[in-house]
Amino acid sequence: MVFPAGTSSEPRTRITLGEFIGLTIAGLALGAIYAIAASGLVVTYTTSRVFNLAHGAIGMVMAFVYWQLRVEQHWNAPLALFVALLLVAPAIGLIIEATLIRRLNPNDTGMALVVTLAVMVALMGIAFTLWPQTKGRLLPVFFGPNAHLSVAGQLITYEELISIALAVATAVGLRLFFFNTRIGIAMRGVVDDRQLMSMNGRSPAMLSALSWAIGAALGGLAGILTASTYQLDIINLTLLVLNSFAAAMLGRLRNLILTFVGAIVLGLLDAYVVGYLKLTGWLVHLRPVLPTLFLFVVLIALPAVHLRSGTAVISRAIRIPAGARSLGNGAALVVLAIVVAPFLHGTVLGNVNAGVALGIGALSIVLLCGYGGYVSLAQYAFFGFGAWLFSEVGHGGNPVGLLVAAAAGAVLGAIVALPALRLRGLELALSTLAFGQLAYYMFFLQPEVMGRSDLAIPRLHLPGISLESGDRNLIFLSIVFALASAGVLALRRSRFGRILVASKDSQVAVATLGLNLRLSKILLFALATALATFGGALYGSTQRLVTADNFQYVSSLFIVLIVYVYGVSTPGAALAGGLSLAIAPLLAVHIPVRFQAVTYFMTGFGAFVLLGRPTGIIPAVSEWLHDRLPRRVMGHTGGPPPVVVPREPSRPTVEVSRAAASDA
Amino acid sequence: MSAYAIELIDVHAAYGGIEVLHGVDLVVPEGALVAMLGPNGAGKSTTLKAIDGRLTPTGGCVHIAGRHMNGASTKQLARAGVCSIPEGRGIFPNLTVEENLRMLTQLHADLPMSEVAERTYARFPILGQRHTQLAGTLSGGEQQMLAMSRALVSDPSVLLVDEPSMGLAPRIVAEVYDVLRQLAAEGITMLLVEQFAQMALSIADYAAVMIQGQIVTFAEPADLGDVAGAYLGASA
Ligand SMILES: Nc1ncnc2c1ncn2[C@@H]1O[C@H](COP(=O)(O)OP(=O)(O)OP(=O)(O)O)[C@@H](O)[C@H]1O
Ligand SMILES: [Mg+2]
Repeated sequence: MVFPAGTSSEPRTRITLGEFIGLTIAGLALGAIYAIAASGLVVTYTTSRVFNLAHGAIGMVMAFVYWQLRVEQHWNAPLALFVALLLVAPAIGLIIEATLIRRLNPNDTGMALVVTLAVMVALMGIAFTLWPQTKGRLLPVFFGPNAHLSVAGQLITYEELISIALAVATAVGLRLFFFNTRIGIAMRGVVDDRQLMSMNGRSPAMLSALSWAIGAALGGLAGILTASTYQLDIINLTLLVLNSFAAAMLGRLRNLILTFVGAIVLGLLDAYVVGYLKLTGWLVHLRPVLPTLFLFVVLIALPAVHLRSGTAVISRAIRIPAGARSLGNGAALVVLAIVVAPFLHGTVLGNVNAGVALGIGALSIVLLCGYGGYVSLAQYAFFGFGAWLFSEVGHGGNPVGLLVAAAAGAVLGAIVALPALRLRGLELALSTLAFGQLAYYMFFLQPEVMGRSDLAIPRLHLPGISLESGDRNLIFLSIVFALASAGVLALRRSRFGRILVASKDSQVAVATLGLNLRLSKILLFALATALATFGGALYGSTQRLVTADNFQYVSSLFIVLIVYVYGVSTPGAALAGGLSLAIAPLLAVHIPVRFQAVTYFMTGFGAFVLLGRPTGIIPAVSEWLHDRLPRRVMGHTGGPPPVVVPREPSRPTVEVSRAAASDA
Repeated sequence: MSAYAIELIDVHAAYGGIEVLHGVDLVVPEGALVAMLGPNGAGKSTTLKAIDGRLTPTGGCVHIAGRHMNGASTKQLARAGVCSIPEGRGIFPNLTVEENLRMLTQLHADLPMSEVAERTYARFPILGQRHTQLAGTLSGGEQQMLAMSRALVSDPSVLLVDEPSMGLAPRIVAEVYDVLRQLAAEGITMLLVEQFAQMALSIADYAAVMIQGQIVTFAEPADLGDVAGAYLGASA
């Protein structure tokens, strides 16, 4: 979680033993909260093999539910806790499991990630709506302000002690439950063989539902403890999932004991860093990223996982348009832009421009997630990096700045790919989320970058062509998008594209075929990141003024979700996604203040479409048209707007992708 | 009311639209041991799946003790007394031996763990010595014994066993067959699938030969003679 930067301590030169004890207790208390949260994550993962990205979000919602009961309704603490933790939280867990998780294929890690990410974003949207952040909220401490002990001159609050006691109770309770009750043992066994479990008379679905209920209750407990000890804040509580993940990774998401160790180490790390280091200068924002750094160390230190071939699940069939058709779609987009541009003005024009620029950057998601099967949750960090670079080197809008941004992106991508080579889908996704958070605090928020004031970025200036006016810029951006998406499709049709898709199917198969998986992965990351920084530079030059808020790491979640919703293997989805995100704020003007979290709802709830249409909206619509319209009109895979393209022998390649099996 | 413990009438089954069983007719009389033989890919395991509920037949009837059971869940069938030991060791590799046994008590609330352990360890002393070991780290033979313990303790009305000899040394196979013989002697109805026929035929009351998704022969082992030889090659 993130703490107000102001609380990071004043410099201390000498630390007494008493202070050390105080810090240690504070660290243990924080570690205890992490331990409770992380063990919930482990319980769910062990039983259902689905990593619950929404774990922190559930804890966050429970903290607000508790606040609602305790503060607004004036219930007493035990009753409010009972209702929140033993009724509401398990109910939320059960509902999520029964409506969403049960419909997932456990071998399809990509989809499981996207769906739980969607739950996380949707829960945040609900929280923003029910508990608008315009109003400050405080949870009363459990035992009143004077309830504390004094050890060696240090105040130790009952809150800290109760956190530690609850973590111990959780550890003992889970241990007894999982090793000494039949149902607990069954929950450990069910992942081995679901069918055998039902032959033994236990329903695997019931076990998985139970694990989600328990996980949600533990998440809720952690959320409430965090909120009453530290603060009640939607985003920070939601990110408790990152800290829990960091702790749980030490036990590979399975071992509860190591998970507890990881949590305690994290808690102590936080306390000692705050107590002993002088967090000034560029280190001001070090504290919120400590779990991230810990996570990176764990991921790098743990032995690499072996390739897994996984179970084949024939799920997605997508048409890939032929080269001429993709160029045709691009041309149609440009024509559309030329026609529409004169009718757009002011904010609308500005936002549409931003949307197309974001769409160019979002093509990186099509490459990385759609073709490569790697879910990356850090794209806005790359957008921001590109924008910042362009402001540094693109003086007067010099187009060389764009090239520099892209080249730097390629290098950055290749560097990022090196550690990513050893990560499986889930670890990669969470590491990228952590990376995005790191970039936000340690880079964008730095005063030299865009932390102190708005960063001015010049509008791109092509020799002889001014892009100063918004409508020209729109046409230009449309041309760039058309070319870039044609390039992405060409890449998909190439040998490299076939290797990517084949490796998504089975890494083992590709490796045994002698194809160089490493090289193609590095190349993929380099290309995708180059596209992202390039798009980010264009986005910056379109916006002209940006702040760190433009590159909030949460935005990366939105854009990945929205591209998945439209169809992650379809370049058109990048454009549709970028435009949707850019235009959503315009809607906000027309709806009550309470429902301002449009983007959260659009992306969070939107992603549930994927349960019915795993390929996304655009391919589904284009399939539908394909079945219904005369042959002449169809055939494109949802490049942007459907257009009549001169008929040519259409022999679309059919891609049958199997559930990416790189993970379990 | 039929006297058959298992009766399959024109059963069809498919994996994702590809039909594998093309009308299987088979009966297992109450108290009898029927050995089902046949080449790889004939559909033997699939037939067992259609009986124990792992696969819902696309056509035909599955009767168990005279009751129509198509579409019943694995769990319901298990409660009705169908005990199935699937191909490749029906155990939980990440649980210990003892915990695996503990899973057997889920179905029978009245069966205390102590009795399950006692009966199993009496029959397979080696499992008793290794009760805290993870099942996945047992040898193949020990794993098969652990899997067999399910049949041993649960007093099934119908026992389905899929290739219990797969990958085992002859001495271990003999031990496994001792258990099967003992269960058969206790009057438990059994459908036993084997690829290598000799052992199975030595304890079977009837033999059914399955080829390409259909039962082509049903006879007493003694009468099987040439037929088995023709279909099953030298191994029969
Ligand atoms: N899960 C599955 N998905 C698709 N096809 C399957 C599946 N399981 C079996 N099959 C196919 O069904 C057919 C029958 O398989 P089955 O396992 O029943 O054969 P079998 O007689 O048990 O063979 P074996 O002696 O090798 O165990 C085979 O062609 C097999 O490829
Ligand atoms: Mg078989």
